[in-house]
Amino acid sequence: MNLTVFLQNVLNGLSIGSIYAIFALGYTLVFSILGIINFAHGAVFTLGAYFTYMLMGNAFGFNGLLANLALPIRLPFVLALFFGSIAAGLVSVLIERLAFCPLRRKKADSLLTVVSSLGVAVVIVNLIQYLVGAEIYTFPPDTYGTLPPAINFGTEANPIPIRSVQVVIFVVSGVIVSLLTYLINATKYGKAMRAVAEDPTTASLLGIDPDRFIVLTFFVSGFLGGLAGTLVGSSVSIAGPYFGIGFGLKGLAVIVLGGLGSIPGAVVGGLTIGLVEAFVPGDYSAYKDAVAFGILFIMLLVRPQGLLGRSLVQKV
Amino acid sequence: MPQPQLADSISNLDRTPVLEARGLTRRFGGLIAVNNVSFSVNEGEIFGLIGPNGAGKTTLFNLVTGLIHPSNGQMLYQGDEISKLRPHQIAKKGIARTFQNIRLFADLSALENVMIAQHIHTKSGVFTGVLGLPPAPREEQKTRSRAFELLELVGLSDRADEKASNFPYGDQRRLEIARALALEPSVLLLDEPAAGMNPNEKQQLSDFIRQIRQQFNLTILLIEHHVPLVMGLCDRIAVLNFGQLIAIGNPADVKSDQAVIEAYLGTD
Amino acid sequence: MNDFVSTYGFLFVSMILGAMLGLSLYLPLMAGQLSLASPGFYALGGYVAAILSTKVFQVKEPFPIALLLLEMLIAGIICGLLGVIVGVPALRLRGIYLAIATIAFVEILRVLALNLDVTGGAVGIFGIPQPFQSPIEYLWIVLPLLLISMAFVYRLEKIRVGRAFIAIREDELAADSMGINPTYYKALAFTLGAILAGVVGAISAHFLNTWNARQGTFDASIIYLTFVLIGGSRTFLGPVLGGMVFTALPEILRAIADTPGLPVWLAQFLRDGRLIIFGLLIVIGTRFFPQGLVTPQLLKRRSRSQANR
Ligand SMILES: Nc1ncnc2c1ncn2[C@@H]1O[C@H](COP(=O)(O)OP(=O)(O)OP(=O)(O)O)[C@@H](O)[C@H]1O
Ligand SMILES: [Mg+2]
Repeated sequence: MNLTVFLQNVLNGLSIGSIYAIFALGYTLVFSILGIINFAHGAVFTLGAYFTYMLMGNAFGFNGLLANLALPIRLPFVLALFFGSIAAGLVSVLIERLAFCPLRRKKADSLLTVVSSLGVAVVIVNLIQYLVGAEIYTFPPDTYGTLPPAINFGTEANPIPIRSVQVVIFVVSGVIVSLLTYLINATKYGKAMRAVAEDPTTASLLGIDPDRFIVLTFFVSGFLGGLAGTLVGSSVSIAGPYFGIGFGLKGLAVIVLGGLGSIPGAVVGGLTIGLVEAFVPGDYSAYKDAVAFGILFIMLLVRPQGLLGRSLVQKV
Repeated sequence: MPQPQLADSISNLDRTPVLEARGLTRRFGGLIAVNNVSFSVNEGEIFGLIGPNGAGKTTLFNLVTGLIHPSNGQMLYQGDEISKLRPHQIAKKGIARTFQNIRLFADLSALENVMIAQHIHTKSGVFTGVLGLPPAPREEQKTRSRAFELLELVGLSDRADEKASNFPYGDQRRLEIARALALEPSVLLLDEPAAGMNPNEKQQLSDFIRQIRQQFNLTILLIEHHVPLVMGLCDRIAVLNFGQLIAIGNPADVKSDQAVIEAYLGTD
Repeated sequence: MNDFVSTYGFLFVSMILGAMLGLSLYLPLMAGQLSLASPGFYALGGYVAAILSTKVFQVKEPFPIALLLLEMLIAGIICGLLGVIVGVPALRLRGIYLAIATIAFVEILRVLALNLDVTGGAVGIFGIPQPFQSPIEYLWIVLPLLLISMAFVYRLEKIRVGRAFIAIREDELAADSMGINPTYYKALAFTLGAILAGVVGAISAHFLNTWNARQGTFDASIIYLTFVLIGGSRTFLGPVLGGMVFTALPEILRAIADTPGLPVWLAQFLRDGRLIIFGLLIVIGTRFFPQGLVTPQLLKRRSRSQANR
């Protein structure tokens, strides 16, 4: 493998890996405060992509209730991405209110909540299908404005072309991770979030209204999910309503690898899986999807707490 | 009535102790819940374990029964090391226990609770069981009648089919003892069996513990906060404080031990 | 009558298959283990039957029943073995960790099925031979099998092994302290579920005539889980009923949609939005029927009121 290919693989890996990381952070935030995996997160990811698509003024296809509909506004990509992710965040809050909150009030078994979130995922996915059909939606080629298709990071004699999309993804993920780091380290809610991730009993001690705290967490989680959805959707395509489910499962691999509930773990896990996938040889690329799950399965068996998670001791 | 003569006569016999802790230590992060504790328990003894809240008594029981493993040191049962065994293996060797924060199978009936605990004394598998081939039917019959006997022993046989969680607190503790006895153990560990009982019930329990020791040839380890009960019932007593063993001996000696008075009895 | 049979024969058999898949998830759940591995074993069992019947036996239709039974046996054995291999290490995990591990297992099998030659890759295996003239005749196989599985689970709950499962479900540590080896019994419960799913898969492959990687997906995991949790996870009648009702749900909704006088939009929603309704039922069910529809209390109350009569 020559250096150029190697570097390209690394950059590809980091690029998809940073999307995994952003997406997985959304899972992790909710898990760290509630101890529950929100299976609807993959569906929120899908929604984010559709929202951005819509906000950019793109029209829907021929199927579904909203066939041929287009919004009368045309936001530029960055704004559409932002508002699309906000909309995804709001949906996530709605999910919390409708599917999580009532069960929490009843102190129901956490597995029931997991099932409830699965139910929400089923509703969202099929609602999308009902509204806009099951077809693949591709963002128009001028989505990112006038960027060239690739940017050369090498010399003229030794070109290392990188797709502009990946550069966009890098920039966006860099901004998001920095913002999130700021949010977590410098704000009251962020500190609480971190404290709770480290020790769930401390939440109430910090004088924080747990309900508002949970709502905010779901919002941030949904925002991150929707953002990841747009990044994948706009760089490849929105592969139909089920598009987030497979991604959501891969996100599970990421958070288990990094350590359930660990915020840095989500980033490390995302980048690791992205890199490993990028280095799967072309001949075996069909097995790429199995790689993440293989890693997940083995990780669970040898070190279920993940790379950066706390060890799982239970009190007798 | 305490029976010092019996305890003495047994400990004088030069036999391997039933249980022996050697430098037993257990850390939880920075906390040392049990700190370099050594003692031995002789056959037939009622051995009391006392100490203030958080002293490490329950942790010691968990170490004996394999629910947790020691960070250092060893636990021996009849001379064999058991510190690396899993709980069910230790149960099979003949050590049974009750739990401080009652751990009955709450949704199951009292009878089922006791039947479950006869697991190691039966052996029918999936197919013999489902098809009702020998030895399953006879075993099933035996398991059931034995469970009734044990419920009778603790005075709960008239409510055998009631759900365990429906029983009042004291009865749940008795049910836990019946369940532990179903294992036919040689060592029985009771973690605060009298908690939540009134003085009258406590006295009955005390008599009952003595009775089962006799009837089933048991060695009994007992954690109990109620000092008069412990003093009256136990042949020997060990005192834990902040994970350390600060005194061990017969009730009279322990009662007058200065360190014990400071750590524990004085504040009672 | 003929009309009825041809319309509903397929549905009846599907409902019974659904009930058995519900039971296959219920078995590990008896020991408190939320495993979503059933679709994986179901798919594997189906591939075993599909490969054996199209590539190994190669007999003319009608496919001999004896061979079908042999395939079911082989599928059961293979799934049982894989169940032990996967189950023993995986069942050290608890709760959500186990659920995730089994999801990973299903996904790995799916990717393999999509890419191997022997499974026909993405297109799958076609033209799996039929032992019967019409779908309804599959009842000869599936109905006895359902009754046997139900009797099996019913008996299981009353014997030593079943009590060990239930003890682990109620309190694993207490069960362990009572001399029950949790790893062994969890793996046993898991393996029994794997065997049942594999056997059902073997029949389904013939019944559906074609088999591909879409049979064992995460979606399927969710659907079977719904059978159990909404049907009721505390008695084996729950998953049986849940499996039947939820398999029939699309048909039921279609029938409702056909009632005259319904507003057009509603009729259309009932027809095309049935999975939305499915999802809503899951959300509502977990909220209002946390124990599922069929609970032990319900059954007790019923039998008591009958006894009093
Ligand atoms: N699994 C565990 N993880 C972390 N800390 C533990 C664990 N088990 C016990 N501890 C700690 O070890 C110390 C000893 O606890 P233990 O339950 O053994 O005390 P105890 O003597 O039984 O007290 P009590 O009289 O209240 O029952 C306590 O500080 C407790 O918090
Ligand atoms: Mg204690």
